[in-house]
Amino acid sequence: MSTHDHDHDHDDHAPTREDDDLELTEGEARFLALKSLLIEGGVMTADEIRARMEFNERGSPHQAARMIARAWLDPDYKKRMLADTKSAAAELGIEATEAALVTIENTPDRHNMVVCTLCSCYPRSLLGEPPAFYVSKAYRSRAVREPRKVLREFGVDIPETVDIAVHDSNADLRYVIMPMRPAGTEGMNEAELAALITRDSVVGCALPVGPA
Amino acid sequence: MSDATPAYAVGDRVRILDIGKPGHVRTPTYVRHKTGTIERFCGMFENPEDKAYGRWGLPPIPLYRVQLKQRDIWPDYDGAPGDVLEIEIYDHWLAPAGEAA
Amino acid sequence: MDKLITDIGGDAAGPIPLEGRDQLFWEKQMIAAFNLLQVKGVVVTDEFRRTVEEMPADYYADSTFYGRRLDGMVRLLIEKGVIDADAFDARAREILQAGTRDHV
Repeated sequence: MSTHDHDHDHDDHAPTREDDDLELTEGEARFLALKSLLIEGGVMTADEIRARMEFNERGSPHQAARMIARAWLDPDYKKRMLADTKSAAAELGIEATEAALVTIENTPDRHNMVVCTLCSCYPRSLLGEPPAFYVSKAYRSRAVREPRKVLREFGVDIPETVDIAVHDSNADLRYVIMPMRPAGTEGMNEAELAALITRDSVVGCALPVGPA
Repeated sequence: MSDATPAYAVGDRVRILDIGKPGHVRTPTYVRHKTGTIERFCGMFENPEDKAYGRWGLPPIPLYRVQLKQRDIWPDYDGAPGDVLEIEIYDHWLAPAGEAA
Repeated sequence: MDKLITDIGGDAAGPIPLEGRDQLFWEKQMIAAFNLLQVKGVVVTDEFRRTVEEMPADYYADSTFYGRRLDGMVRLLIEKGVIDADAFDARAREILQAGTRDHV
């Protein structure tokens, strides 16, 4: 079996290789053991793993930004995105593979945030792998119990006049939060707006900020 | 009954039960015995309680989103009165509010 | 009846870790390999969640996110007879001792 060459791939989405210099941990050794057994057992091939790794990179940078920016500019697209998020994604050439995808809109009356208290359910095909905070036990425990306090830890202060809805993504639906368009963004085009829409704002743990 | 209409309509008051089922379930403890409102019918889905043990999870079962007021979940909830929690609950974990569990 | 170890919504907890870190190469490979196991129908997501839930409570408390995913998947694959427990342990020891990688 040829060893993979150590040139960094030219593609921006190539996996980091810097950890080649890191000492082998027990976790990695266990995974490499599993991988070798699965390949030897004919369950999968190294090429398939490589191809799937590349496929998984399509969620980074996250693909919801384009959709939300389009929704901010085009009220009909927004209606379609709220009604059928998967189809709205497909309109933009984005293949969302979740069984069921739902967009929840932030309004002046209600701020929304998403958590999976039981594990780490997350719209991975759109957003890539979830951030460390999302899969942490602290977020999973506390987001449903004290969302306002949790948001303040993220630097997000929602006034008492705005309700908070926490969505526990515990079954088959996956959620995209559509933030409100920030002030000071008049005249910005779709790409400029998309650049404001952080991944964390699509989870409800950040608010997009207009230009200074 | 593949064309059965869902038992609950949007706006119905429902209680989330504790059905005492061991093993893999997707109804967290913190919402059991709590009362909320049907926010939407999500559709029919394969039962994860069966799929976790290598069974097919068929026939598909109804799944609902239930909205609960946070102050109805946590006795000392310290947020706005309008703060809510929305969560997905399968039909067999629900009963009309007011019925004995 | 005891709660599932994963059933932690509402439990007391400390500060939320806000620091992100890039996924390690092996973690990305692992996610890809797990996706393939699901796509190929070797495992079902619900079975995998169940094997994580079956871990001892103190293990779950100390484990890392990727560590317990790995251990949950290993348990499931052993349960299904896809891999052999002894062969797995021996291979893991071998690789750890050799200290080298094979970035296939």
